Amino acid sequence: MSNTLILLIILGLGVIGFIMGRARAMAVADGDRRNLHSLPVYYAANVGLNAIVPACIVLFIWLIAQPFFINNSVSGMIDQDRIAEGSSLSLVMSDVRRVAEGLDVAVAEGAMSAEMASDIRTEFSNVRERLAEVGVALGSGVTSETLQAAQSYRAMALTGNWLKTIIVLLVSVAGLAVSWRMITRDYRARNIVEKGIMLVLIGAASIAILTTVGIILSLIFNTYEFFKLYSAWDFFFGTNWAPSFSGRGGSSELGILPLLWGTLYISVIALLVAVPIGLFAAIYLSEYASKSVRSIAKPMLEVLAGIPTIVYGLFALLTVGPLLVEVFGDGGALGVTWMSGGTAVMTAGLVMGMMLIPFVSSLSDDIINAVPQAMRDGSLGLGATHSETVRQVIIPAALPGIVGAILLAASRAIGETMIVVLGAGAAARLSLNPFDAMTTVTAKIVSQLTGDSDFSSPVALVAFALGISLFVVTLGLNIFALYIVRKYREQYE
Amino acid sequence: MNDMTPIDRKMSTMQDVKISAKGVQVYYGDTHAIKDVDVDIADKTVTAFIGPSGCGKSTFLRCLNRMNDTIDVARVMGDIRIDGEDIYDAKVDPVQLRAKVGMVFQKPNPFPKSIYDNVAYGPKIHGLARNKAELDDIVEKSLRKAALWDEAKDRLQAPGTGLSGGQQQRLCIARAIATAPEVLLMDEPCSALDPIATAQVEELIDELRQSFSVVIVTHSMQQAARVSQKTAFFHLGNLVEYDDTDKIFTNPQDPRTESYISGRIG
Amino acid sequence: MTDATSDLPSGKPVTTAHASLLTESPKMKKRNAAEARFKMYGIFAITLGLAFLIFLTFSILRNGIPAFTQTVVNVEFTLTQEQFDEAESKMLKTAAYTEIFVNNITEQFQERGLDVEFDGGTVERLLGKVGGDLRSFYRDNPSQIGQPVDFQLSAASRVERYLQGKLTRDMVVDGRFLEAADLDVVDAMVAAGIIGTAWDWNFITGTDTGVDNPGGAGIGASVIGSFFMMVVVLLLSLPIGVAASIYLEEFAPKNRFTDLIEVNISNLAAVPSIVFGILGLAVFIQFAHLPQSAPLVGGLVLTLMTLPTIVISTRASLKSVPPSIRDAALGVGASKMQSVFHHVLPLAMPGILTGTIIGLAQALGETAPLLLIGMVGYVAREYPDGIASGLLDPNSAMPAQIYTWAARSDEAFFEKAWGGIIILLIFLLTMNIIAIILRRRFERRW
Repeated sequence: MSNTLILLIILGLGVIGFIMGRARAMAVADGDRRNLHSLPVYYAANVGLNAIVPACIVLFIWLIAQPFFINNSVSGMIDQDRIAEGSSLSLVMSDVRRVAEGLDVAVAEGAMSAEMASDIRTEFSNVRERLAEVGVALGSGVTSETLQAAQSYRAMALTGNWLKTIIVLLVSVAGLAVSWRMITRDYRARNIVEKGIMLVLIGAASIAILTTVGIILSLIFNTYEFFKLYSAWDFFFGTNWAPSFSGRGGSSELGILPLLWGTLYISVIALLVAVPIGLFAAIYLSEYASKSVRSIAKPMLEVLAGIPTIVYGLFALLTVGPLLVEVFGDGGALGVTWMSGGTAVMTAGLVMGMMLIPFVSSLSDDIINAVPQAMRDGSLGLGATHSETVRQVIIPAALPGIVGAILLAASRAIGETMIVVLGAGAAARLSLNPFDAMTTVTAKIVSQLTGDSDFSSPVALVAFALGISLFVVTLGLNIFALYIVRKYREQYE
Repeated sequence: MNDMTPIDRKMSTMQDVKISAKGVQVYYGDTHAIKDVDVDIADKTVTAFIGPSGCGKSTFLRCLNRMNDTIDVARVMGDIRIDGEDIYDAKVDPVQLRAKVGMVFQKPNPFPKSIYDNVAYGPKIHGLARNKAELDDIVEKSLRKAALWDEAKDRLQAPGTGLSGGQQQRLCIARAIATAPEVLLMDEPCSALDPIATAQVEELIDELRQSFSVVIVTHSMQQAARVSQKTAFFHLGNLVEYDDTDKIFTNPQDPRTESYISGRIG
Repeated sequence: MTDATSDLPSGKPVTTAHASLLTESPKMKKRNAAEARFKMYGIFAITLGLAFLIFLTFSILRNGIPAFTQTVVNVEFTLTQEQFDEAESKMLKTAAYTEIFVNNITEQFQERGLDVEFDGGTVERLLGKVGGDLRSFYRDNPSQIGQPVDFQLSAASRVERYLQGKLTRDMVVDGRFLEAADLDVVDAMVAAGIIGTAWDWNFITGTDTGVDNPGGAGIGASVIGSFFMMVVVLLLSLPIGVAASIYLEEFAPKNRFTDLIEVNISNLAAVPSIVFGILGLAVFIQFAHLPQSAPLVGGLVLTLMTLPTIVISTRASLKSVPPSIRDAALGVGASKMQSVFHHVLPLAMPGILTGTIIGLAQALGETAPLLLIGMVGYVAREYPDGIASGLLDPNSAMPAQIYTWAARSDEAFFEKAWGGIIILLIFLLTMNIIAIILRRRFERRW
């Protein structure tokens, strides 16, 4: 039975439970709701929820556990020594799964009977052709071992599905029955339901933890796979990035250093643009600007932060890049030939800087405003000019907060993807010329994982190692920056 | 201070007029905060402004070094002269004025810098010292004058915010006198301090009288009686009475002053 | 007070203190100049920031607006009954129509004294399969035969770019799409005044095309893809976000677990979006075997990405409801849960909705995670035919579609990408305006 159907049945049972619960509550109260401890709706909800929630939890756990269980027992059947050279257990297993799916399709389309699918042998018929007839393409011929594994895979999945259906529905009915039986006049239905709701609330709050765990696990597992195929030393200290897509990526050179250099270079240029402009804008807005100027300029600047990064990416690729070539390129306004193409570190850095201006300015604005007025009065009262006050009193007082803001902006710049994918180019190189095309960690994650990625070659798996490096760096920057900003806020509270 | 003889006070009131204010009006937006105040403040004298809260005494004080300029909605009208020069003249730079008329605030507000840098800040921005030695000298003399030298000399590089409340306020006074002002405005300088620190600051104010004209806003009538030679009583934005301190406290002319002094209003 | 400086701390007479207030000392002049300079830096910074914004807006509009129009050739054309019969009797019927068309245009040129030679091939390169179009028109509307009919024929995208000056004669080397001689015809058409522009509905409602037909590409299908993603994001992130916020703000005890959640939420808000893409790829596609390029998967990834934003803004709105409301509810004997759900939550709702809309707007423009779950390689040629198909069948989304166009080598697609950006920004602007109106309308000062 399909999962959707099971879910619908559970929901139906929940509705039935709701109605039955309400009826029984009114019955035990002799038709007068004042005799009950809680409102009738709580009794009803209690029964309904008991029918739905435990069953759904069981279903959810089952859906996760069953593939694991089956995978483990099927891969136990495969003889380790028989795995072909250049292949791996996970590859064989994906073959097995594909054959099993193919057999399912074949049965569903009526090209094979169910018995035939479970008894067919490679010795007697060409499974690959039979499957191709129903539109399931298999890469290579099917060995008898694979076929047998696929058949037991199917058998187990079938049994598993039946067991799942029965157990889940039993749990649902049992929940309904037990909670229905428990309804009495003094049964504290409201408290129970509220406890249930509380559990739901806690569950929702825990999704944040689950997300983080999901990110970390998916990065770590795949990175581990990658380091089984490619040496960690070469990855972290290699100065050459040259993925080779032929031969399962065996001869690739995957050093992260050129990518880190590109990331760093672009981020530094972006910060060189964003920090002075953002900081001076913040100082002007919070210290000098009249109310009306502030009420116009501040939201206008913040519009820059609300524009999606794809827009900046396109702007970099199609407007800023060609413009820079006209100035710095061959035959350009300056008569220099520093720039050969529109995509370059400078292009991406400039545009990213534009994007980060409001980020720096609104954070710094908040921080400058948090400096107590008494500091300004004290300085002005001594006969300091406004700018002396800003430079010598306010900025030093706000410095930790501003550093925090800049670090947050840096972490943004490092993690930014679309601008560099479109604006920075694709060549990984260690160069000092800011008008050269370079590439970044994020851009390479995209290029290694787009298209039909095969999760068993180092060329694709390297993206996860890049991802984990990116995650660790940005997380470290964020935690440090938030710590600094919080410390700073406490100082004036 | 308390044991000051009436003769001292008489002598001090003989000084020339340092600040003269005529017909001063202040508006905060639509609120008429100061109504037509005339007052002459003598040199080398401590003048106290007293009155219930919200009577405008701090507002008037802030007119004297144009600190009200920093508040957008405040408008000041009338004529205020220091040494005969109109401080609201278009040619006057408020920055230059504030160097001449220093200010100490209600809450101690040392900058988040070292003690040394706090005191050296004013002389540095005004260019009062030609070299490091001179600057050191100014810092030391100011701290001595503010009676803080003995406590601070061993930790000049420690942050000013680490001092106790009373020390911080004396640091702010040292910071103010380091710029060599001619007038020192003090806006309730002791309201955030404990009695011992208050006594130290009051003693200090009395000494400062020898070098500056001091104007102090205070909530405490006792303090006004202890430190000042002249007292002005403000009420609801009006200057009700202005005279020698002992006269105000012993023989007030206006019934409102009498009510305030005897504790019936305020 | 002439001796005012005599016992100054410095012990030396200081000249500045003596100076009249009415004259500006040289030192003061310098300081004031520094002040003015400093202020100028600020003004310069703001101006620069705003100039960037204006430059960006300008280049979006200048490059994007042409995507909404197409170049058309307006021809008044009369087909006589004899011509119709003759053409229908031929073997190559559409070629016959093309020939009639060519003759007609040539006549019109000659009336105006323009002398250009061209053939059916030119017409096809410039205007597409005109012969077929004419034939089907007259076969469907035989009554129009013998009467003058106004035809509006859309020109090829290269013609359009030639007219915009983006394509010059020396760039036309590849004769497959356009020959240099064809451009003479275009010039003649311009001179004859039969070339004009018309609103291109196909761009808004159409679907993506392959790489060879930039003129026919539309953004409609990917708008639907984005719509389904946003539905998923809204349905998941609003309830989950509100539930999580209620727990953290109203019920959570101060303990390690709560701290852990708080730290997680503030950090997730700052994790690069591409990392969420990796998560989506690994968990939803690699592990859970959900279909690639499906709006459902995109919606799930964007939900995880949007949740921290929504939780942060929801908690702020819950916090702004004063405790007195809670006390009042508890005071009449409501349970804590009832006080929250009956009183606090409804009062916080406008703020929550505002935050949610802003979170959705952010999700709508997000591109990087969509690249990883396969929304870019997919060419969205068809509209989904139902809700299940809308969620599960591969589709593109607006930002992914824009990226796809930007990444194609044919420059004619760039205009489409800019046009797509205008549509995307219109959606974002609308959402933000709704959020602002909601905030203004329901803002409550306690």
